[in-house]
Amino acid sequence: MTPECERVLDFLDGPLPPELAAHAAGCADCRALLDGFHVLAPPRSAPAPAPLPFNEAKYEETRRKSLTELAATPLPTPWWRDVLVLLGTYLGVTAVGLGVVGRHGLMLNAAPSYWVAGVALLIVAGVGGGALLGLAPSRRTWPLGLVAAGAGAVVVAQLLGRSGLQVRPFLTGTLGCMGTEVALSVVPLAVAMVLLCRSAYQPVRALAAGLSAAGVSMLVLHVHCPDGTADHLMLGHLLPWVVLAGVAVFIRSRLPSRTFAP
Amino acid sequence: MPALSGSAGDSDEVLMERFCQGDAPAFDALFQRYARPIQGYLSRLTGSPATAEDLAQLTFLSLVRARGRYQEGARVRPWLYAIATNAARDHARRHRRPEDLTPEGELPLTAVADTPEPRDAGLERAVQRALEQLPEGQRLPILMHRFEGMGFAEIAETLGLTESAVKVRAHRGYARLRELLAPLHQETAE
Repeated sequence: MTPECERVLDFLDGPLPPELAAHAAGCADCRALLDGFHVLAPPRSAPAPAPLPFNEAKYEETRRKSLTELAATPLPTPWWRDVLVLLGTYLGVTAVGLGVVGRHGLMLNAAPSYWVAGVALLIVAGVGGGALLGLAPSRRTWPLGLVAAGAGAVVVAQLLGRSGLQVRPFLTGTLGCMGTEVALSVVPLAVAMVLLCRSAYQPVRALAAGLSAAGVSMLVLHVHCPDGTADHLMLGHLLPWVVLAGVAVFIRSRLPSRTFAP
Repeated sequence: MPALSGSAGDSDEVLMERFCQGDAPAFDALFQRYARPIQGYLSRLTGSPATAEDLAQLTFLSLVRARGRYQEGARVRPWLYAIATNAARDHARRHRRPEDLTPEGELPLTAVADTPEPRDAGLERAVQRALEQLPEGQRLPILMHRFEGMGFAEIAETLGLTESAVKVRAHRGYARLRELLAPLHQETAE
């Protein structure tokens, strides 16, 4: 589509300026466009189309229901309050999680401390960014690639920053971490689901929120878990994270939306 | 209907600002301004006036419940139409069997109307059928542009796309409609 074709679109309702008329006369695309536009209009000789049926009773019911809701909550809840609620939940779960799993030693990750801190900061940034991406109003659908790239960066950073140590038997350690990650993710995921239902369903948003919510328990494990082999991290930490995010998308797609706002 | 003194001439954005502060007459003014257009849009989008009534109700309830998500200064009409479009998509997603999906994974519209047909029912049906054959990406811009009188910038805002992307889709959609409706157009011209 040339710039002239774009300009023809802007003049569909009225007569084309001479220079655009000349362009349209010689452009097959624009002729097809103009014909398509005008073919939707009823011919001048035809009777005016009947107005679409309108149910006055339903109209009044909608008006009444809306005004009742408005009277019940005259002031709106700003969207960022939902983000704060979610982040507060994350903070609480992280504190409880570290308190529970760390009662015999809080920071057992044997990788160099700068790596542990760096990866932890990356996870925190991802968790915060995911919460924002999931709950902030946006009409633009975020590209799946952006969320996948963020998740990929977390995966790569965790694997690069591994300690390589295996302290517990592989199966016991992996199942233990899987169970801990799932258990600690229940509350953040539940809160994220409730808050996600306050806007229209978008799979990428649900995925971002799911990764964010499940990232809380992954952060706890990252700091606490003494096992640092690639196999353990992949199966015990990263796989449950991704699966839980997928479950979040599935559950959100089944839940009814309280509003359809973008 | 209560009197809406001082609301009739206000812009949508002014009304929305007052409505966000809990002003019921401002909501009422917006409701009166948009209830019929939104229902008409949803009726064309879903092919069912009864479904459109329910979805219009959900749209306005969403407007009330989610006004905290409205960004101050944003245009109201695109926001409202975005809500209506999302409501229709959600309805289609929940009320279709998987085998009804188009190859692109989009949801086709229902051709069956559940109310008496208008006078020029043949023309209306043909147009509706032709619109149904367009993919959603082309159908929505055309519905908003041709039937709702929205500009491409507003449509882009509604759909969360760039204006150029909307124009390309509308361009392709109108060209396809010409093919689909050409026989009817020739008939009526004769």
